[in-house]
Amino acid sequence: MTSVRQRLVPYWLLAPGLIWLIVFFVIPMYYMGELSLKTGSIDTGYQLTWAFSNYTDAISQYSTQFFRAFYYAGVATLLCLLIGYPLAYAIAFKAGRWKNLMLFAVVAPFFTTYLIRTIAWKTILDDSSPVVSFLKTIHLVPQDGRVLATSAAVIAGLTYNFLPFMVLPLFAALERVDIRLLEAGKDLYASATQTFLRITLPITMPGIVAGVLLTFIPASGDYVNATFLGGTNQAMIGNVIQSKYLVVRDYSEAAALSFTLMAIILVALIVYIKFAGTEALMGDEEEAE
Amino acid sequence: MTNIKMKQIRLLVLGVLALVASLVLVACGGGGGLEGSDNSNVTVAEGGDPTGSLNISNWPLYIDGKTISNFQNETGIKTTYTEDVNDNNEFFGKVQPLLSQGDSGGRSIIVVTDWMAKKMYDLGYIQKIDHDKLPTVFNHLIPSLQHPSFDPDREFSVPWQSGMTGLVVRKDLAPDVKSINDLFDPKYKGKVTMLTEMRDTVPLVMAADGIDPVDASTQDWLDAIDKIKKASDSGQIRRFTGNDYVQDMAKGDVVAAIGWSGDAVQAQADNKNIQYVQPEQGCSIWSDNMLIPVGAPNPAAAYKFMNYVYQPEVQANITQYVNYVSPVEGVKPILEKRDPAIANNELIFPSEEFVKNCFNQVSPPGDEEQQREVEQAFQDVVTG
Repeated sequence: MTSVRQRLVPYWLLAPGLIWLIVFFVIPMYYMGELSLKTGSIDTGYQLTWAFSNYTDAISQYSTQFFRAFYYAGVATLLCLLIGYPLAYAIAFKAGRWKNLMLFAVVAPFFTTYLIRTIAWKTILDDSSPVVSFLKTIHLVPQDGRVLATSAAVIAGLTYNFLPFMVLPLFAALERVDIRLLEAGKDLYASATQTFLRITLPITMPGIVAGVLLTFIPASGDYVNATFLGGTNQAMIGNVIQSKYLVVRDYSEAAALSFTLMAIILVALIVYIKFAGTEALMGDEEEAE
Repeated sequence: MTNIKMKQIRLLVLGVLALVASLVLVACGGGGGLEGSDNSNVTVAEGGDPTGSLNISNWPLYIDGKTISNFQNETGIKTTYTEDVNDNNEFFGKVQPLLSQGDSGGRSIIVVTDWMAKKMYDLGYIQKIDHDKLPTVFNHLIPSLQHPSFDPDREFSVPWQSGMTGLVVRKDLAPDVKSINDLFDPKYKGKVTMLTEMRDTVPLVMAADGIDPVDASTQDWLDAIDKIKKASDSGQIRRFTGNDYVQDMAKGDVVAAIGWSGDAVQAQADNKNIQYVQPEQGCSIWSDNMLIPVGAPNPAAAYKFMNYVYQPEVQANITQYVNYVSPVEGVKPILEKRDPAIANNELIFPSEEFVKNCFNQVSPPGDEEQQREVEQAFQDVVTG
């Protein structure tokens, strides 16, 4: 008897998550998939016509916005990595008793909503702000130029908003680096660069992979930053989907666009994990044993 | 060996469970409001003794702070006033699945703009109103709003507030902007915005080119959209906005915009240089309307509320706060005593001379399909 009960335990543990995912992920996905193959409008109703043309139309018509979304998200992810890695490194190894406070500082922006933080950037970057005047004095921005309502502003907003998603996994990975390995490297006459490249970096690869995924995926679907910080011709694919759903109310094509976005991200993800290696993602667990 | 078998069985059980659960839920879920609708069986909202509670959905900053509590105290109707209409399209997207099932989500009054009111009515989402139950409303409704083209006999809509769409400019930074065409002047490159609401932006651009928006063809709309697209691609237009252009303008990032009269009045309180300018070729006049949706739980209370806000004394409080054009006659004399600056403001009580070139807000011509083509073309510029 006990053995049957014991065998059921995993299912009970799984149940809440499973039901949650079925109700709020699988079923909506099913509806969206079906909707993406329908034709019609709210007035006439939607009929399932297996309209695969929804997909080809969506992709050919909005390839610019797709490309732009991945470009913005890609640059933002790279910037997050370049800013986040030294930051996480400093917190993990050099912060000493300030460690907890600094970690808190990384997470602190979450206490304000995403929307408010993004809108605050409008003030930071507005045409007559000190930040922009400074950028003009050092000739990073031309005298008659602006920052707000440009691609740079959208990418800066994305970088800022997703930075914690990069820093936290990096920190988790760096924290677990065994100091003795670094000491061993030094003992064997490795330079600081060599130690970093051949010990620290490979060990923290899982953190980098996780950080890149957590940053890139939400960033490529984002539409808030482009709405508030972007100008004309800076819309990302998220803006197109939002306008298709809520303004034009072409639900079928909106669904097709959403699926296409998911598919592209999924393929990119698979390629990336293949490239970065599954060990990079799973490796630390084996080491932990 | 047995271990692997056990795993396979577990997986199988899980899979079957998941499948059954999803099928059950799909069956319960139903079609979710994606089948078509029409208004062949619109009912008239019932009156009766107003008691109980009343839920109203309106736009943000569209009522003064006292009216709702005064209404509650006088009538004993518990009123929940929610500012959840930010955009006609978004609100429609939110309530459409409910309304198509005959459910208003507990709302007995919703407030949307003329064209959206018509659209919802045509879909059968709105009940007709009984004029006999609205004596105060129809005794005080101003003549210019009694027979709008979208609802000539006011069969289903009661105006909440009206306003004008025209030019909003920084007088100190762009003193010579007088026509919508001035927005295309290279002098103001990157300092100009237009509204994301197509029906606000496109007709004004057409009118500026001498096309009467009221008789414009689909091609006229598409031509005007093309003109906007060129200005957008060249960087002339900084961005397309909701009413957040006001903040950009306060900072001087934007010097001229297509905007709403009420925004200009409110912004002026903080910055004297922000002004509404009546475009030379005319403005667009619109109203937001109170509607009783299908499935409204308390239409009697809705009638009571409509009558209540059409009392000039009550309306004067609202006008004083929102600064839009009031649909109620008899407000001006009250405000002349109380707040002459508002009573003499052409944007709140426009003279005939002031609005002589203006037209009622229009939608693209043709059937649903043609309208959607135009809407799509405009959205492709906005999300270019």
